Amino acid sequence: MRRCFFILILGMVSAQWYGETATTIDERRKEIGLFSPFRMGLKNGTELSVNKFLLMPNVSIKQERPSIREWEIAQRFQLEYPTIGMKWLQSPMGDELGDPDMFALISPQFDIPQMVSIYGELIATNGLPTKGILTIRGGLGFGLGGNKLSNDATIDLPIIYPRLSIYYNGILMKVGGEYYRQFRDSWSYVVDYDMFVMPGGRGRYTFEHKMLLVWSKSQKFRFLIGYKLIAGEYPYGAQAHLLPALDVQFGW
Amino acid sequence: MLSGCEPLVNQFNDIEDAVMYQASSIKEFGPKKTIKVITWNIRFGVARLRFFGDGCGDRAILTKSEVTTGLEGLAAKIKKEDPDILLLQEVDVQSKKTAYIDQAQWLLDNTDMNYGAYGSMWESQVILADGLGRVNTGNLILSKWKLENAERHQLPLRNDQDGLTQYFYLRRNVLKATVAMPGNLFYAVNTHLTAFATDDTKKKHLDGFKDVLDGIAAEGQYFIAGGDLNEIPPNASKLDYCIEDQCDNESYHTGGESEHKEGAYFAPEITWLNALYQTYTPAISLSEYGRQEAEHFTHSPDNKLKLDRKLDYLWTNTNWTNGITHQEATELSDHIPVSAIWTVK
Repeated sequence: MRRCFFILILGMVSAQWYGETATTIDERRKEIGLFSPFRMGLKNGTELSVNKFLLMPNVSIKQERPSIREWEIAQRFQLEYPTIGMKWLQSPMGDELGDPDMFALISPQFDIPQMVSIYGELIATNGLPTKGILTIRGGLGFGLGGNKLSNDATIDLPIIYPRLSIYYNGILMKVGGEYYRQFRDSWSYVVDYDMFVMPGGRGRYTFEHKMLLVWSKSQKFRFLIGYKLIAGEYPYGAQAHLLPALDVQFGW
Repeated sequence: MLSGCEPLVNQFNDIEDAVMYQASSIKEFGPKKTIKVITWNIRFGVARLRFFGDGCGDRAILTKSEVTTGLEGLAAKIKKEDPDILLLQEVDVQSKKTAYIDQAQWLLDNTDMNYGAYGSMWESQVILADGLGRVNTGNLILSKWKLENAERHQLPLRNDQDGLTQYFYLRRNVLKATVAMPGNLFYAVNTHLTAFATDDTKKKHLDGFKDVLDGIAAEGQYFIAGGDLNEIPPNASKLDYCIEDQCDNESYHTGGESEHKEGAYFAPEITWLNALYQTYTPAISLSEYGRQEAEHFTHSPDNKLKLDRKLDYLWTNTNWTNGITHQEATELSDHIPVSAIWTVK
């Protein structure tokens, strides 16, 4: 049970920064995944994305921009409010310290202040599914209100640590890319890479690489399975983790 | 250094190599005819600060400054006592609760000790409770001379826990190493036995500790051994510490009920140290303990400075002289050091 919960937490938090191309989904189309956010196509090449983990509300808007040569360009802005979720992680079962306070990832001794983060990134995509689609992206984010958050209150785990670092350090830089290729009618793969730069943090960087095999039954359902390799610095030092990655996505 | 695919919890083999340490600068020490040995449970370097895990505190994470201050107090006492062999328990080497300070390396670099052998009793990438996070804590042997063939011997796990709790819980061990003093080899053995088991796990731990000592003796070798046995002497006058150990939100024996606080009631196990006393020589003899019991108490819980029980011991298969219970060090940990002089055979 503990392990299942652990994986679920990773999934919920990782959904905030779900990687994607510069292509927005069609107007009125909606997509949702087990470990990916709810997305909806709006008018004028705009896409709305909302994290399903309601205790850590996160909303982002992606907008298409004029192409540059053969590169599709998009910009994405994201707003996140982590306070309720981080407070919940201090006592998910409602227990008190020493009960034991099961599944608590942050000690309840710490105060979690009111915080918000804003993140903006540029995305460029080029190619065709059967010949390969290359995407590159880079962005910068700022955390506001975290100056009263103790640096001892970090969650020193892969995936979570770099994504919450913006609240402890006040700033986050991220660059990455992905390569997608369809090699059969229903089969494709995605190779994804991201680097988090966390200036001022006890852990200063994280590299994340993901490879997924994708089975698309139709426009309504697809299944993704693969691995995620994370190598980064944490407050205790550097470590690499290899984790299974999977998602089940629905569209309509 | 990057390491991949480590298990969430290190479950350890029955016997495996200890983790070896060395001071950043080595001091030269020649052979001696007598050596000073100290055993000390250092409570992960946080002195008497209130902590939820072993007392009644309301904190799980301590600051780097607090831990460094605690370590400085320990180092000052160690330098003053100038031991040749130091048997330490509750040493954090990579724990979130103590700001990830490698206390084994810190103590080597801030005392006159040269070499260390470490055996973890709790190593997990995350403890999913109380916000404890990453934990690596255990037993440490420090020596002025090189340590060789250092082994961590696994002791039985508690049987009074469900499987999931047991998976994430402490794995007690006996740490054994050869001290390569020039011209004379002998063994140093260190352990920290279960405190809170409500079944016979502590008896199994005592048997496991004695088995390691018996093995050394059977080879015709000599040892100095010690640690926090979490057991009181067989002639102790007080057996029930439920009242002393209860926190503000707890209440024991108020209406004559028989329920006891875990780790605070010793009556059923009062004879469990007999085998060690009958086979090997303690630094503080039973008769000496009986004569001045309060002078040899080594522990009081939480931030209570009045020591009230003896849990820490030194043993050998030869003889000790000048056994001392260092009650002047009460503020440096919730246990105090016990020292003695061992004549090299």
